[in-house]
Parts: sequence; C-alpha cells; structure tokens
Amino acid sequence: MVRKDLSITFMGVKFPNPFCLSSSPVGNCYDMCAKAYREGWGGVVFKTIGPKHYLIDEVSPRFDALTKEAEPFVGFKNMEQIAEHPLEENLADLRRLKKEFPNQVLIASIMGSNEEDWEELARLVTEAGADMIELNFSCPQMTSHAMGSDVGSNPELCRKYCQAVRRGTKLPFMAKMTPNITDMCDPAVASIEGGANGISAINTIKSIINVDLDKKVGLPIVDGKSSISGYSGKAVKPVALRFIQQMRMNPKLKDVELSGIGGIETWEDAAEFILLGCKNLQVTTGIMQYGYRIVEDMKNGLEHYMDEQGVDRLEDLVGLANKNIIPAEELDRDYIVYPEINKDKCVGCGRCVISCYDGAHQAMEWDKDSRRPNCNHDKCVGCLLCGLVCPVGAIKPGERVLKAGRKEKNLKKMVLQDTMEKL
Amino acid sequence: MSKKYQEEYEVAFSPRLVMEEASRCLLCLDAPCSASCPAGTDPAKFIRSLRFKNVKGAAETVRINNILGAICARVCPTERYCQAGCSRSGIDKPIDIGRIQRYITDFEDALKMDILEVKEDNGKKIAVIGSGPAGLTVAAELAKEGFKVTIYEKEAKAGGYLRYGIPEYRLPNAIVDREIDRIVKLGVDIVLNTKVGEDIKVEDLRKDNDAVIFAVGYSQGKMLDMFKDNRKVIKAVDWLKKTKIRKGNVKVPENVLVIGGGDVAMDVVTSLKLLGCPHVTDVVYEQFSEFRASKKELMNAQEQGVTIIDGYVPVATGRGGIVKFKHRILPAELKIKADLIILAVGQVADVDGLGLTLEKGEVNVRGVRIPDTNMFFAGDIAHGEKTVVWGVRSGKEVAFEVKRFLGGKK
Repeated sequence: MVRKDLSITFMGVKFPNPFCLSSSPVGNCYDMCAKAYREGWGGVVFKTIGPKHYLIDEVSPRFDALTKEAEPFVGFKNMEQIAEHPLEENLADLRRLKKEFPNQVLIASIMGSNEEDWEELARLVTEAGADMIELNFSCPQMTSHAMGSDVGSNPELCRKYCQAVRRGTKLPFMAKMTPNITDMCDPAVASIEGGANGISAINTIKSIINVDLDKKVGLPIVDGKSSISGYSGKAVKPVALRFIQQMRMNPKLKDVELSGIGGIETWEDAAEFILLGCKNLQVTTGIMQYGYRIVEDMKNGLEHYMDEQGVDRLEDLVGLANKNIIPAEELDRDYIVYPEINKDKCVGCGRCVISCYDGAHQAMEWDKDSRRPNCNHDKCVGCLLCGLVCPVGAIKPGERVLKAGRKEKNLKKMVLQDTMEKL
Repeated sequence: MSKKYQEEYEVAFSPRLVMEEASRCLLCLDAPCSASCPAGTDPAKFIRSLRFKNVKGAAETVRINNILGAICARVCPTERYCQAGCSRSGIDKPIDIGRIQRYITDFEDALKMDILEVKEDNGKKIAVIGSGPAGLTVAAELAKEGFKVTIYEKEAKAGGYLRYGIPEYRLPNAIVDREIDRIVKLGVDIVLNTKVGEDIKVEDLRKDNDAVIFAVGYSQGKMLDMFKDNRKVIKAVDWLKKTKIRKGNVKVPENVLVIGGGDVAMDVVTSLKLLGCPHVTDVVYEQFSEFRASKKELMNAQEQGVTIIDGYVPVATGRGGIVKFKHRILPAELKIKADLIILAVGQVADVDGLGLTLEKGEVNVRGVRIPDTNMFFAGDIAHGEKTVVWGVRSGKEVAFEVKRFLGGKK
C-alpha cells in the first residue's frame, strides 16, 4: 500500500495536497465545498465573488459538450458567470468553511469592475477567513466588458487591479489568466509587478463548439440565439500546458509560483502540470462530468508516481520537464526514426497505409495477400504517424538512422517518444 | 481458434481493451455491483481507478479486500453477483467485471506489487485445517492482523479444490501458486501431507493454539447407489484431480457420459472436449430453465460441442457401461452406452476424526464457533453457498470473529 505525503506549500500556504476545485459551478456554495473537502480535496477556490452592485442573471440552458466518436465529453462549453448568491451569503459560506475545515485551504476568488470594488472585495474575503485570494481576470462570458477576460488581456488593468487588491489585503493572491491572448506573459508580468504572489492559468477559451444545422445557431440555444463562451475540459489541456511552459521560460516569471488549470482529470494530467512547473492544480470540468470523487485516484495515482520516481516530496517533481522543452530551431534534426512493425501484433486493418499515403509520405506499402504493411525506408521520413493511428500498438519507434551526410553530435541515449510508448 | 486444456480459455484483456471495457462502465451512483459481492469487492471503485489511469490503485482496492483476488477474477460466476445488477444492462450488457479484475491482478503480479501490510506479532497462535478458499482467506486475514497462523493440509500441495478441482483452462495452478506465495509471505506456515484427525489430533492443535479453525471443504464426490462398484464409473472430483495433477496427460476414451449439471459437471465436460474426447454427453437432472451451472461455463461447454440432455434422471445400469434414464416429467426414456461414466452429482465433506457433527453438510451450530470451545468453522461446512467467493466471504467473517474472540495482544 503506497503512502506518500502529497502536501505542498504554494504561495506560503501549506496544502494537504495540490488538488483544488477551481472557481466555477463546482464550488458554488457551502454544501458543495464541504463535500469536496470531505472527499479529500486539498483546497477549494470558492466561486468568484463579485461586487454587490453587479447582478448575475444566468441563461438556460448554459452548457454544451463537444463529442468525438463514442467519447461523450472531449470538451465542454460553459456560459455561467460568477457566483449568483448574494455577497453576504457567500461571505458567510467562506466563514463557515474555514471554521469547519481549518486544515484544508480556502481560496476566495474575486472580481470587481473598478479599483474600489477590487480593494473592497479583497478586504471582505480576508475578513471572512480566506487563506488566499485569486483574482478572476479571465472569465470570457461576463455581461460587462469592465470585467472578466477583457481585463485579463489588458496588462495595465491587471497591474492596477493587483495594486488595488494589495491595498485591501495582506493575504497572498494570484491572478487568473485568460488564454484568449497571444502572449500570456504580458498580463502575468504586469500582475506580479502589481503585487500578485502567483499566477493561475488557464481560464476557459472563447468558443463556439457546435452549430445546430437545422436552426442555424450555436449551442446551447437560448431563445433561438447563442453566444461565444468559455471552452474547457480535456481538449484544452495542451493549450494550458503551453501557456504554463511559456511563463516558466520567461525571465521575469520563471520563479513565480503557478497554479495549473485546464483539463485535469487523472493523476497523469496532474503530473504533467507539476512537471511543467505548477505547485497547485485546479479542476472543474472533470468534476462536472464525474464528481468530486475523481480526486481519490488523482491523489493515489500521484502517490504511486512519486513512489516510482523515488521522491518523498511532491515539490521535488515541480518543473522537471521545463528544461526539456526548447525552441524548435534547437532540436536535433540530423536523424530519422523508422517505424518498427510487429507483424504478429498487427491485425491487418491497413490504417497505417491509408494514413501514410494520405497524410504523410507514401512509405507504408501494403501486401494484399498477407494483409500486412511494410515500410519503404527510401520514402519514409520517420514522422511516425503510422504508430499513432495503429489501433493495436503494433508500430513503435524503431531503428534510428542519421540522415545522409550528418554526423552524430549527441551520443546520449535517445528518449523514445513517450506517446508512442504508451500505445 | 482451437482451445487447449493447459491454456486459459478466456482471453485476457490487453491494456487498450480493458480501457474500452472500463469506458463502458457508467460510473454509477450507489453502484449495484459494489453492493452485491459476497466477498465485499468494490468493483465500482477499481473500475473507476482504472478508468482514471490509476491501475496500481485499482490493484490495491482488489487485493486489500480479497487475498484471492486473482482466483476470484477467473472463477467467480459474476453473472450472479456483481454483474447481476449492472446498470449498463439497461443499454446493452453488463460490464465484464471478472475479466477487468483479472487484468488488474495480472498487472499487480507483472509489477510485483507488494500491497499488503502485516501488523506487529500479537503473540497468538491459530491453526487452520484445510487450505481451500476459506482456509487460505481466514489464514491470510488473521496473519495480517498479527496472528501466527499455521495451515494443516492433507494433500501434497496447498489450495484444495482450487488446485485439485477447477481445471487448468479456467484456473491455472500457476495462479494458485502466486496467490499462496503471497499468503506465505504474510507469515502463514503451511504444513502439507498432514491429515488432522489421523496424523495429528484436534486436541493437540487446540492445546497448542489459541484457536482452531476447520475449513475442510467438500472434498469428496458423492456416489449414487446404482453405480457402486461399477468399474466404468469415476467421481467427477477424482477425475478432475487426476487430470489437473497430470497437466492434462490422461487417457480420454472415445465416448464419455457425464451425469450432473452443476459447475463441476461443466468443468468435466469442457475439460474432456479440450483434451480431445470426440463424444461427450452430459445428462442433467434439471431442465435448462433451472440449470445450476454458471451461464459462462455452460456456454463454454456448448461452444466446445458437448451434447447436453436436460431433465433426465438415471434409473438403472446395464453391462458394459449402459445407463438408462427417465425424463423427470415427460413420458420419455433414454439409454446411453459409454466407455466412461463420470458422476458429478454433488460433494460432501470428509470430517473423519475431527469430531464435527454435520447436518445437511453443515455444522449444526449457529454462528461460526462451536459453543464453549476455541474451535471455529469456515467455508463449505459453514452455512452459505458452496462457491469460491463464499469461501472468501466465510474466511473473512471467521477471521473477524476469531479476532473478536481472542481480543488484542497476549
């Protein structure tokens, strides 16, 4: 039975484990957060609390899901804004949660429409007992352009609002970034300069995920119309990881503490964010689909991973992958890895041949009689698309050959493509 | 594909296929599967772990609950238990929980995971008589709690019916070995070739131990009077034992008649077919609608081409392997001549010299302890179904009661 300590200190606060609800429908009230704490979440980011004057009025329906083949939930679209409960009620919930769950971390997410709002909200949630604060600069479906991702894509507003929050609290706080921007580093740097102690990323991606072909309108349909709104879930993980990496590579941000968000469902997803530099992790879509219980396997799986890696502190895994992600121009372009086909494992579907012809370099040849593929090395460029489409994992990276006229620069043992290894 | 006696009949899941199967799981609220295992297995939890890529966690869930997890995965008639209430049946068919559990325990073995922990020695000694499912389970559960446990087994190897009964194609002895190795590693001693009541007295065990647990099981096949001394007749358990010990190297005649319709009968007829017997005829007392054998085993037998005749009862025998049957309800008769007749008409316990009184095959005492003694009983001779999973259940229950009876440290 594996037993590893998952505790980690993030922005000066010790978390029993790095897993938190992100600010969203999953942490909307006392009962929800209390249940999440009981099921083992290390922390909760309570659904974003807005100023008293900003009234929330939601649409119905408000969600939609992107599917692919038999997968019911590749990505998820959400139109909900910030907490709809009255300010006083939210603050009362915060007070009660902190009192009843003193050892788990309570993070208040706030969003104002001007400096006064931000300062006041920071003061209120501090008084209510929050351990730290997250500034929501990033919700892409607010009904006010003075709030949400319009703020997060404007570095100067980020800086100003961070300064306002700093006036209202002594607590550590992080700024939650929007991915609806070319370079996240600009608002992140501005936030840190404004006084933020950390950055969380990413919020949802502006999207239209389905269009009803008869009614000619996006989904979900609200009285015959629809809007662009935030996209999340497994499908956005690659985008989130990219922003995390870019911030870690920025000289002004490289030591800033990060909370990773975007498509985390399994311990493997979590470990990826950790290896790319996150000390804290936030989840919503996975919970909306499967429930708070997913934390059990994320925690246990991460403990097993620590055990395999021979580390006793989760912190020792943070950022280990950053150095291995380098600019494309620096990659070794001197060799080709040819596919190795296991003809016994092969079931003779020919998908590799189809994909190689139509999507690559026409190197995979087909023996009609035996129904088996064969790779022609004269044509093969070693892209290994074949291995990715093979349904039985019969094609793996094989012989590695230097391109004509190139010299071996790097005698290090080649790391085989992990995605292929998993097949 | 032609199947062999020495190879597992059911093909194992590959990593991709097990994920496909786990993805069929609806991850229900208050999952029916987890409420219906006699041994307390929580399939909903281990399938969810698998689904969320935590296979090691899944292995922990299986193993901590069931010391015979890899065996149950293969032999349990899951259609009667965990799979019976599966919500997925509302769409198509239940999740193949047994095969998923097999994948998980195979994974555990492949990675040589060491999941179980043993508490500090509590100074108390336990003797267990019999090393079948119930004996192994009660021994392992008590060893984990810090008891010093010794199992006494009359045969040359441990495992009882698991080793000497269930055929290799359904439960390879290599799997039985691995499960027993794990139990030995918990600190359990197994004394082989020792029949309690003959080689060692129950009284001596009682004196030397804080508790004695009878887990002798139904090791003997039943005989029907009309077949007594008939040289063409062998009892199913004896035939299965011989066949498993010899790894299938037994002489199989052209034409075999099997009488009986339970899982033991199915084990016999399918084994015969896998060993190349051309004509296997199984005559069964029950009609198909009331069959006792698990659906899977019945299906395998039919897939192998066994002739199954239902509703007939043997009424007389003739020379040279002739048996006459009458239909239980209809005015019909049947006469079959066979080279070999195998009787699979039930089993009984061998309690000679143990001082136990059985009533309808079970110790006629309420609970699991013989009143005013330190003697407990588990498995087939205790009240309940006579299956491996019930043996596990009984072993766990008796371990709990022994622990309660003996209390904490000495």
